[in-house]
Amino acid sequence: MSENELIESIKKVGAGVLGVTSQKRKISVTIDPSVIRQVVQALLEHQPRFVIIAAVDLGMDVELLYHFDAEGKLIVVRATITKEDNQIDTIVDLMPAAEWAEKEAAELFGINFRFHPKPGHFVLPKDWPAGKPPLRKPFQGTLPEKFCPVAESLVSVGATAPITSFAKRKRKEAGLPKLPPASYSSDTSLGEVHELMKRAEFDVKAGFDWKKGKLRSSK
Amino acid sequence: MKKYALFLGCLIPQRLPCTEIAARKVFKKLGIEVMDLQGYTCCPDPIVARLMDKKMSLALSARNLSLAEQHGLDIVVLCNGCFETLFEANRELKHNPKLRDEVNELLSSIGRRYDGKVQVKHVVEVLYEDGGVEMIKKHIERPLKLKLAMHPGCHLFREENGGDIMRKPRMMRDIIHATGADVIECKNDRICCGFPMMQADEEWALKNNVLPKLVCYQHAQVDGVVVPCPTCNLQFELGQVMLHKYGERYNIPCLHIVELLALAFGFSAEELALDIHRSPVLQLAQKVI
Repeated sequence: MSENELIESIKKVGAGVLGVTSQKRKISVTIDPSVIRQVVQALLEHQPRFVIIAAVDLGMDVELLYHFDAEGKLIVVRATITKEDNQIDTIVDLMPAAEWAEKEAAELFGINFRFHPKPGHFVLPKDWPAGKPPLRKPFQGTLPEKFCPVAESLVSVGATAPITSFAKRKRKEAGLPKLPPASYSSDTSLGEVHELMKRAEFDVKAGFDWKKGKLRSSK
Repeated sequence: MKKYALFLGCLIPQRLPCTEIAARKVFKKLGIEVMDLQGYTCCPDPIVARLMDKKMSLALSARNLSLAEQHGLDIVVLCNGCFETLFEANRELKHNPKLRDEVNELLSSIGRRYDGKVQVKHVVEVLYEDGGVEMIKKHIERPLKLKLAMHPGCHLFREENGGDIMRKPRMMRDIIHATGADVIECKNDRICCGFPMMQADEEWALKNNVLPKLVCYQHAQVDGVVVPCPTCNLQFELGQVMLHKYGERYNIPCLHIVELLALAFGFSAEELALDIHRSPVLQLAQKVI
């Protein structure tokens, strides 16, 4: 089978395949973690060799880079899992050679490989404290912790801090309108701010959760 | 008389509405017409936002500038930080077509566009140039027999490249003089209030920025400190409170230049809501009434 057929097999998985790029000796595939098993199944048609899983802790997410070798190419499948979710389906039943790699990533990074046939101790000393994976970083984004409240407020209301009820009361007592003519006083302006934040991709950089209306790292 | 778009920023409406009240009264008294800039965002602040993400920071600034462009009005700001951010964004976007295109691409998603058609002015230069010292003197109803220190703050020195950086600080001094007050010169007048440093090391900023200035003011026996910026104002007021934990006790009034003018123009402490201040500005007002 050819390289193009391999790429087509992967693309057939559907919307969970977010991108495929091909270089001279490498095919890079970015996927939603929910389709890892379908992608591996698609690769099986091409008799791949499992190489390794590399885990990279990005602070708020963990990137899993599944490496395979097929059709004379290195195939790197990138699945990013959020630390809030922190899990991905095992591929061990499809590709038994992945058993140790998954156990290693589970033990060192604290990731849950769902339905792994033999979970548990792998490389750490037996007396290593439970729940303390040594390579897992604290749950924080790329912004310094001290900047996070400002970032959260900038994305959500377009100001360095949300206006407090105390400030509204003081403004009223002082004979001013309760709210100044700022972006947070108008839905239209606030909509513009939110759109700009998305377009500038600052919401992603700051780790802003639009559903919760705050940073993912906020307590 | 020229009309301006009034950019209030974040701190004044939320923490120091007394400055907003005073500014509105002073503008009206001097016949300077202002229109509220509806739907503005944080400038955004020149330290934290720029360090976090320059593209986002410039996009927000450009949006604020485009709001004023929509009305064909230059912007007047009451804050050194807002001045620095908007002035710098305006300068950078005017002179860098590639950056301007990138920012305009972002703005196009919300139906806006930046064309670089407005100027950003600090309230000090608007009071001086559009009001004028003579006009200010004419409206003085209560000459201030006060001995005051003046903290211009870092960003008041911002000028176009090659400009006279002392231009606005001189204007500020002349305006304070026009109220009848004496301006005391201190050796560290040009030292920063320490607000940016507070983000990195609070104790260092308090001891090396706020404290040396307070020591000078105390030594000169000033009645108060005048600032052109709400951030510097809060830094001096909260800084004096925070220094208590290091055994340093100071209680020097600190107020914005528009509040000083409003007092001299005859407005009462109650009308100006000076009780909002965390330093004894009310006591200072009692001295002049």
